[in-house]
Amino acid sequence: MSHASRRAFIAGAAALPFLHVPGARARTAGMLTFGLSSFPPNLQPWANTGTAAGTVKLIMYRGLLSYDAKGALKGELAESWAPEGTDAWVIKLREAVFQDGEKVTSEAIKWNLEQVAAEKSTAYLRAEFQGVDKIVTPDARTLRVIMRQPTATLPNWLASYHLPMVSPRSVGGSNVAVGAGPFVLKAQERGVALEFEPFDRYFKPGLPKLKRLKAIAYADENLRVAALQAGDVDLIEYVPWQAMEAISGDQKLKLDAVDGPFMYLVFNGSRPPFNDARVRKAVGHAIKRDEIVKAAFFGRGSILEHLPITETSEFFNAELKDGWRYDPGLAKKLLAEAGHPSGFTCTCLSTAQYGMHKDTAEVVQQNLAAVGIQAELQLPDWATRVQLGNRGQFQIAVGGTAADSNDPDGLANLLDGSLAPSYVRSIGVRVPRIEELLRAGRSEFDPAKRKAIYAEMERVAIEEAPIVGLAWRSQGYAMQKDVSGFKNLPGALSFYSGLTFEETSVG
Amino acid sequence: MLVYMAWRVAVALSLAWVVATLVFLIIHLIPGDPAELLLSQGGVAPDPAAVEELRQRLGLNRPLAVQYLRYLGALAQGDLGASLQDDHSVAQEIALRLPRTLELVGAAGLLAFLLGVPSGTYAALKRDLLADRILSAFAGVALSAPVFVIGTLVVLVFAQKLRWAPAGGYVPLASDPLRHFLLLAMPAGTIAIGLWAVVFRMTRTSVIEVLGRDFIRTAHAKGVKSARILVHHVVRNALIPVITVLALHLGTLLGGTVLVEYVFNWPGLSGYLVRAVEARDYPEVMGIVLVTSVLFVFLNLLIDLLYAALDPRIRHT
Repeated sequence: MSHASRRAFIAGAAALPFLHVPGARARTAGMLTFGLSSFPPNLQPWANTGTAAGTVKLIMYRGLLSYDAKGALKGELAESWAPEGTDAWVIKLREAVFQDGEKVTSEAIKWNLEQVAAEKSTAYLRAEFQGVDKIVTPDARTLRVIMRQPTATLPNWLASYHLPMVSPRSVGGSNVAVGAGPFVLKAQERGVALEFEPFDRYFKPGLPKLKRLKAIAYADENLRVAALQAGDVDLIEYVPWQAMEAISGDQKLKLDAVDGPFMYLVFNGSRPPFNDARVRKAVGHAIKRDEIVKAAFFGRGSILEHLPITETSEFFNAELKDGWRYDPGLAKKLLAEAGHPSGFTCTCLSTAQYGMHKDTAEVVQQNLAAVGIQAELQLPDWATRVQLGNRGQFQIAVGGTAADSNDPDGLANLLDGSLAPSYVRSIGVRVPRIEELLRAGRSEFDPAKRKAIYAEMERVAIEEAPIVGLAWRSQGYAMQKDVSGFKNLPGALSFYSGLTFEETSVG
Repeated sequence: MLVYMAWRVAVALSLAWVVATLVFLIIHLIPGDPAELLLSQGGVAPDPAAVEELRQRLGLNRPLAVQYLRYLGALAQGDLGASLQDDHSVAQEIALRLPRTLELVGAAGLLAFLLGVPSGTYAALKRDLLADRILSAFAGVALSAPVFVIGTLVVLVFAQKLRWAPAGGYVPLASDPLRHFLLLAMPAGTIAIGLWAVVFRMTRTSVIEVLGRDFIRTAHAKGVKSARILVHHVVRNALIPVITVLALHLGTLLGGTVLVEYVFNWPGLSGYLVRAVEARDYPEVMGIVLVTSVLFVFLNLLIDLLYAALDPRIRHT
């Protein structure tokens, strides 16, 4: 008897791993669970509060325009948009209602755009919308946006996830503003999760396809991956690079990754030695970028030796793609020409809070040492790094971001030295020709001419090096094999992929 | 006794004020601007006018002394303020998260106690034999292994390989009790491993010491059964230092479960504090530190008053 019991015990123990103990989540038909990288600090519609907030906004809200899977502009609440002369845009709205039942009218849209531009606005696009002279609403579905100067890039601004249209009635109280997007926010537990249900009067018939969507914040990237592998979640964002290979090799999962965000260097050009373009360019030629791709991104990325314009962009200039190619000999020559034949010492600001920033800085430090520049690393926490960058308390700094859009005007924030000091761009490095070309590109409506303008801008940028590109980093989403319809948008638009939740289905 | 109590309460209140002031000064002195940070998320440059407007709106433009006085004034009315990020009440958020951390720490403490005392006693009884050596070796490993390593291994084995439990997260007890305890088990177990080692070692040492005392020999001489001696005389006497040490460890865990909360996505107070510091959310940081400190101060006060009630010599000195 005791022998039989022991056997039974051993057999039972051996079988335990094969029992389906309901540790993992039991799936509900039509419900998708999404692993967010962080909980949004808030859901203010027009303020920039990070990419996680951006994704949630794309679930709840819609703007006038957005992007399709190939990255081309497409209409959302706007049925059509076209320039009228060079100073105005005419926008026709489609039939739609906000989630509070209010109609989407030209007056409501006008109110939204005016809030963004208002004196006390904290909107991300506030500065851009100072360029709007007035907005006229000839009828309930037509707007004429009259600009102070020709602005070809207005559609890109209107497609930004920082510019959702919300019901005027819903703004002002402590509640989350109500938009006209595919999903309605049903519940949220601060710091933990948000739950959505489909909006039954969404203006796109048959969408969204999901019956429920739950977004759970997993700040730890390894746990986010573990939750996907364990089946707790169906889809995750910000797949850590070190996990991409395992996910690609997993029969139950699939990975959708694009090169979109990038790492780069900025300089303090308000004093020597980085006030000299030759020194900045020398830095550009001193960096062995494949080492950054390997060290910081586990090989999941690619080198960036020019301005961050992706190869798939119509504005990509093949002849400039190795403008800052790795050439230590040339770097030393440029340093000698600039009066630094033996190099110099400087500081390099980055942050220890994010591995990719720290690892990138370490490779930069080693490569600079090889051409005689001894860079001392400063690695404070992110908050301190931002403050030091904004105040210009650095000499070289490592940055990481994505352009505002795939249009080269989306790089203006990084290149335009006439803008207010910011940690995302060099301090005290003004290149009048670049500023001029940015203005020209913004006001030029002819695509061929725009292409020529931005090619010229990139040529100037490579010589003057207001920033130095380092590496593209792979931005990935991973999901269960039975999730369909979700798409990682190309290039800088990767953070707009939340737009495709409306097409997503599971099972 | 009343004078003594009044004096102790006054000291406790003064300590709370000192903590409040120190926290206010430290968080305002470290670099990083909350408005700038909030609008710079994702590595983008905010419009300086927008940052200025937000700073104005949040009251960050006022002189530090004015901010301090307003903070103390609000505190006096029991108001811990609102988050700079989304205007959410700090007191409400702490009230939500503190019980979760207490639950985590309490469950870990209970597990450690229930496993540590019997195993420590057994090891003491088998002193220097194989069982004692194996258990002591385990305790050595458990003490030296970092909690995030244990946590990651636990997730790998139980969530990813065996799929017995979710990888992490939190479900309120009221909405799904079974899942709540399933989600509690892994983080509590992870903390308990280190705590078990502490309890085990303390119990073992303490039991060995008590076993050598005269009154144990006397009990044996009187013919009292060994089991009774062990439970009623040995373990009972040995537990006093064990409980003291366990209580001290649990106290430090109140604000120190951050790694476990992070690894298991447990939305407690420690993780909340770290995120608040990263965002330089002044009211949140000040609220959390103040509440945990005051909790400590008043727990100490309670213990002091209990000592005084139990031992007249204390209240007369």
